[in-house]
Amino acid sequence: MIRLVAAVAVIALLALVSVFIGVGDVSWHALVSPGPDEQALQMLLISRIPRLLAVLLVGTSLGVAGLILQMLARNRFVEPATVGAADSAGLGLLVATMLMPQLPVLGKMLVAAAFSLAGTALFLLILRRIPLRSVLIVPLVGLVLGSVFDSVTTFFAYRSDLLQSVNAWKTGDFSNVLRGRYELLWAAFGLTCGAYFAADRFTVAGMGESFTTNLGMRYSRIVALGLLIVSLITGLVVVTVGMVPFLGLLVPNLVSMFLGDNTRRSLPWVAVGGAGFVLLCDVLGRVVRFPYEIPGATIAGVAGSVLFLSLLTRREARVG
Amino acid sequence: MWRAAVVLAVVGLGAACQRSPEPASGAAPAAEAPSEKGRTVKHAQGTSVVPLHPQRVVVFDLVALDILQALGVEVFAVAGDQFPGHLAPFGDAKYPRMGTLFEPNYEALHSARPDLIITGGRSSAKYANLSRIAPTVDLPMGGVNYLDTVVANTELLATLFGREEKARVLVTELRASIAKLKETTTSRGTGLVVLVTGGRISAYGPGSRFGVIHGDFGVPVAAAGLSASLHGEVIGSEFIREKNPDWLFVIDRDAGMGQSGGARQVLDNELVHQTTAWKKGQVVYLDPMNAYLIGGGIQAVDRLRGQVAEFYASKAP
Repeated sequence: MIRLVAAVAVIALLALVSVFIGVGDVSWHALVSPGPDEQALQMLLISRIPRLLAVLLVGTSLGVAGLILQMLARNRFVEPATVGAADSAGLGLLVATMLMPQLPVLGKMLVAAAFSLAGTALFLLILRRIPLRSVLIVPLVGLVLGSVFDSVTTFFAYRSDLLQSVNAWKTGDFSNVLRGRYELLWAAFGLTCGAYFAADRFTVAGMGESFTTNLGMRYSRIVALGLLIVSLITGLVVVTVGMVPFLGLLVPNLVSMFLGDNTRRSLPWVAVGGAGFVLLCDVLGRVVRFPYEIPGATIAGVAGSVLFLSLLTRREARVG
Repeated sequence: MWRAAVVLAVVGLGAACQRSPEPASGAAPAAEAPSEKGRTVKHAQGTSVVPLHPQRVVVFDLVALDILQALGVEVFAVAGDQFPGHLAPFGDAKYPRMGTLFEPNYEALHSARPDLIITGGRSSAKYANLSRIAPTVDLPMGGVNYLDTVVANTELLATLFGREEKARVLVTELRASIAKLKETTTSRGTGLVVLVTGGRISAYGPGSRFGVIHGDFGVPVAAAGLSASLHGEVIGSEFIREKNPDWLFVIDRDAGMGQSGGARQVLDNELVHQTTAWKKGQVVYLDPMNAYLIGGGIQAVDRLRGQVAEFYASKAP
């Protein structure tokens, strides 16, 4: 508990720093002695704090979504971005853009989430029919499925010259988060909290179907709940900022290395770790090419792949 | 894996052997005095010998189509299936399609027996393949000297088809009207060019693909130091707010692609509202056809100039 509080404190410090990084003039000085138009304060309220909140919300919810998905698939190497959840959400967003361009953001989000739900469910369905569920087959199936969705998206995007837009959606980027543009993410946070209450069930589901049934619980219902949470979170995140790779993979794995697989115990850590990871990536992306930006997802991709590889080589004995 | 590598190596070797040696006259000027064989033309990717009166011309570039249309040259076949704005006539079925700008249909092209192929911009990467089928001329993209490139491309194509006189008239008119625009823009405040796609904003400076706004139209630069990269620099609304341009030039890429553009939604926010450009209503949505799709065509540049001039005229100094 104390360690968790300490971790939160470190992230709060980083958050404080991040608020003062940006093109506009926001500094202690400007805040303490505001000019006649209170520009610094405005900038803080319109741009910096919403961006910070969006980063934290995405980090926590995607990390938790990754953890739940790993429980449901009973495999440590899956995450929303690699089992087709994100790719099918992107396809949904493309369909919504092409067929119903006037749809409000909430509508687009629902379409994306519905596609994401279908995609993730298909993944689990295929998984059930595979007799040999070796550690590596599961993520491979996910990657293949994701690529199928991706190629469908690419085909239609190519035909309608929307490839660049699709790329923009898929790359998690916080550069355009402003007051009024990210609030949907609070729903993702709500789902994360819901996941905390259902955490014990996911732990049990992670032991397998027969085990769950023996304990007198309905396996399919737990799976459906988990699926719903994962795909809604994915849809929300893809629509508002885009996908952040490696987050759902890296953070739950790191946490389980230290804390094991008790979801209720590890979930707060996953949430905090995810938030910290995304925050760090976003801050780096803003600093490296100041005053321009590198999307946070790009940084996450580079940092995440390095971290994950080192993680893999170090703990081969505990894989699975 | 090994097998694939070997196959690749063999294919690569074969391709290398097939490549015919370059014509010896490397140091020729843009278009040499015509000989019986044809005229030696220097272009963006080397030199080619083009027959004197090319009849079967296949065009892989919207910019070239724009210029040829302005010069009154008839083409034989085209690539792609979207011909926006004033290029709409090329959508007619009487022009055979030779694949797309990115993926030529080599079979169709072979059987079409072209005299001349023109590439540029999006199809430049296919130059090496296409030049094995017929003499190919690759038009350079507008860079630091945007207008000069447009003029050079127009003159190059005019020489190939003997339309030098027509080109002279077009170029003189264009230079005059742009000079006139420049007189009004230089004293009316700074400008920033942004492109919006998929909800993201990127900024472009002088020398970029939209550099014509600053370099030739004469709009003073609001954000110094923007590099000339093809896809611009990713920025947030804070950047626009901080640079506070008097004029905001917006290219709504998604609108250019036939989607109802989201640029208005993206830019309509509390930070952009604080800029002079927004307060004075000086946000202009450039026609994405002329600025983006056909950017560099002589008609497209003139239309872009027309739009900017009209917009400046509609706002009191």
